[in-house]
Parts: sequence; C-alpha cells; structure tokens
Amino acid sequence: MQWRRMPAAFKSQRRRRSWKETRLSSSAITTSSPHLRSMDFSIRAANLDDCKDIARMIMELAEYEKVSDHVKVTQKDLEQDGFSKNPFFHGIIAEVPEQHKTKEGHTKIGYALYFYSYSSWSGRAIYMEDLYVMPEFRGTGVGKALINKVAQLALAAGCHQLNFTVLDWNKPSMDFYLSQGCFDITASMGYHCMRCEGEALEHLAQL
Amino acid sequence: MEYKLRKAEPRDVPDILRLVKELAKYEEMEHQVTLTEKELLEDGFGDTPFYHCIITEIQGEKSSEDRKVVGFAMYYFTYDPWVGKQLYLEEFYVMDEYRGLGIGSGILRNLSNLAMKTRCTGMMFVVAENNEPSVQFYKRRGAEDLSQEEGWRLFRFDKDSLVKMAAPSEE
Repeated sequence: MQWRRMPAAFKSQRRRRSWKETRLSSSAITTSSPHLRSMDFSIRAANLDDCKDIARMIMELAEYEKVSDHVKVTQKDLEQDGFSKNPFFHGIIAEVPEQHKTKEGHTKIGYALYFYSYSSWSGRAIYMEDLYVMPEFRGTGVGKALINKVAQLALAAGCHQLNFTVLDWNKPSMDFYLSQGCFDITASMGYHCMRCEGEALEHLAQL
Repeated sequence: MEYKLRKAEPRDVPDILRLVKELAKYEEMEHQVTLTEKELLEDGFGDTPFYHCIITEIQGEKSSEDRKVVGFAMYYFTYDPWVGKQLYLEEFYVMDEYRGLGIGSGILRNLSNLAMKTRCTGMMFVVAENNEPSVQFYKRRGAEDLSQEEGWRLFRFDKDSLVKMAAPSEE
C-alpha cells in the first residue's frame, strides 16, 4: 500500500515542485517484495521508547523528499508531546521479528500517528496525521494493517469518522483510500484546509 | 453594547448546540447535525474533553434580562510531526445580528493568544471554498490556503466504512 504524507505548509513554489518530482518517481518502489510476502509483523501501541524510531522514520521520509530542514520536532518533543499526562497525539508501531530487521538493524518499520478530534455536526472523530511504512516493507500488508488498527481504535472510542489529508498529486494513495470507501471532502464539499502561522498568528494575537 | 468572552461551562451546552445548528443552516447543512446535548456535555466536560469552547455573551439592555450567548468557538489541539502542536479551530460563529461589532476578531485574538501561550506553531481550520466572505476574512488576516497552495485534500471515512475497515484483514 502506498503511504501518504501530510506535510507542513511550504512557502515557495520551488519546494513544492521538488516534492512532486520526488514523490512521483517513488511510485516504482511500492511493488510487492516476494520474499517478504509471508513476513510476520505485529502492530502495537507506541510507547516512550519508540520515539527514537518514530523520529527516525519521520526524518527518513523528510530526507527522501529532500525537505529534512522542515522537520523541527525532535525525539524529545515527541516524548513530551506524545507521552505526558495530556498527550497531543497517539502512535501505533509496526514491528518485524529480528530475522527480518533492516541492514541498519531496525525492527520498527512503520507507524501511524493519530489524535482524537471533534465534529461539531457529528461528535467524536479521529484524525490520522501520519501513516508510513519503510520502502523495503511496502506491499506486504503493513500499511493496511496500520489503518485497520486506527479504524478499530476509532470505533472503540465511539468515533463517527476518521479524517486525514492526501496530497492531490498522490493518485495511487487517493485511489487506494477511495477504494476502501472514503470520501474526498475537498472535492465533494469544497472544504479547503487553512493555516495561520508565524507572523500571521502573532499578528492575529494582537488585533 | 458590552460583551464578555469566557470559557464555556456545562450550562452553555444548549446554546452551543443552538449556534451549531444556526451555522449549519447558514451553510445549508442543518440536516447533517446529529450531535445531541448529551454528547456535547459528555465530550466537552468529562474527564478527557474532545473539544474546548469559548463563548461570547452580551448583557441585555435591561439589567433584569438574562445574558444572551451570541457567538462561540469550538477548538481542540492537534499535532503536526514536523512542527509540533497546532490549535485546530473546528467551529467559529457569531449570530447574524451581532456581527460587525468586533466579536469575531475578539474570539480570534483570544484563540491566537492561547495558541501562542500553549506553544502551538499554527492555528488550523477548514473553510468551504464557496464561502467567499469567510475565505476573504481569513486571507486578510494572513491565513494560507493549503488546499490551493499545496494540494491538500481532506478525506473522510464515515462510520459504515470504518466498520468495514476495522474488520480483520483477509490477506
């Protein structure tokens, strides 16, 4: 399954073009790896010790997209923001047994980050912020298992919807999600995602 | 006219639902509101709130009149793994007859301050592209349209699709 990435806001057109080029060229990576088809993997809740690998995978993705300078969040931030008394996000990890570890020795090979949100129309909801599987483990059902888990967690918490964003040029991901039964709310309802940050946020605070 | 901005309390739940329905009506989506007062109470004022709310109330002209809730904002905290905490503005509404008095700007100022105090790097929200007045209101204040500029598309699985997806994989 193709991964989907929601990036932080960019400012320049130049960076967006770089994004598009690298992303389209990676579509060849997601063919199934025969020796991994029968691979065992497990999905579990992330804990404090996983923050090192989560930070690694966040950075892997950003480096692959040549925008690693955009990542400001550190392992320490993840520990504080995800595992204190009032967490801002929750995580699930995909892990493989020792015999399938990567050549660098990693057994944690995928993750999803999510948090609970709220719809003023229908109530409890879940937002899937990130879904990532390391390239050599794609096509083996890990991504599907991660999103299945997020769906289970959503229902267990009484949520009525699961929301996330996909970039408009990521057609394989869009097609996959649409085939699983979701709606493109931007297309059907014209909803645009907006953000106020930096100087604009400071200015709003002073109006 | 004096108005007061404060944190919502459990007793405000009927007014919050009233304003949610009024806004939905303005967007011609009133039939889509399935939320109840019971859910709003449990989800906003229980041990782990799913949302927070601030409301604007005005004092009636006669001192004996009850205060009236004329505007509100519903928000919660989200997370961007690249830049950290965000404040997500889920709903923001001022009753028609009380617009143009600075109530909306006051709510946004309050929330922006809160975002900065809680070390959020941005405030995020969604606007319908055909809601020209709102789109211009936010763009004038420096908001970026990430759907237009970066190609973000919002996707949703509803309850039925969630149930299907949560079933064990057949692979």
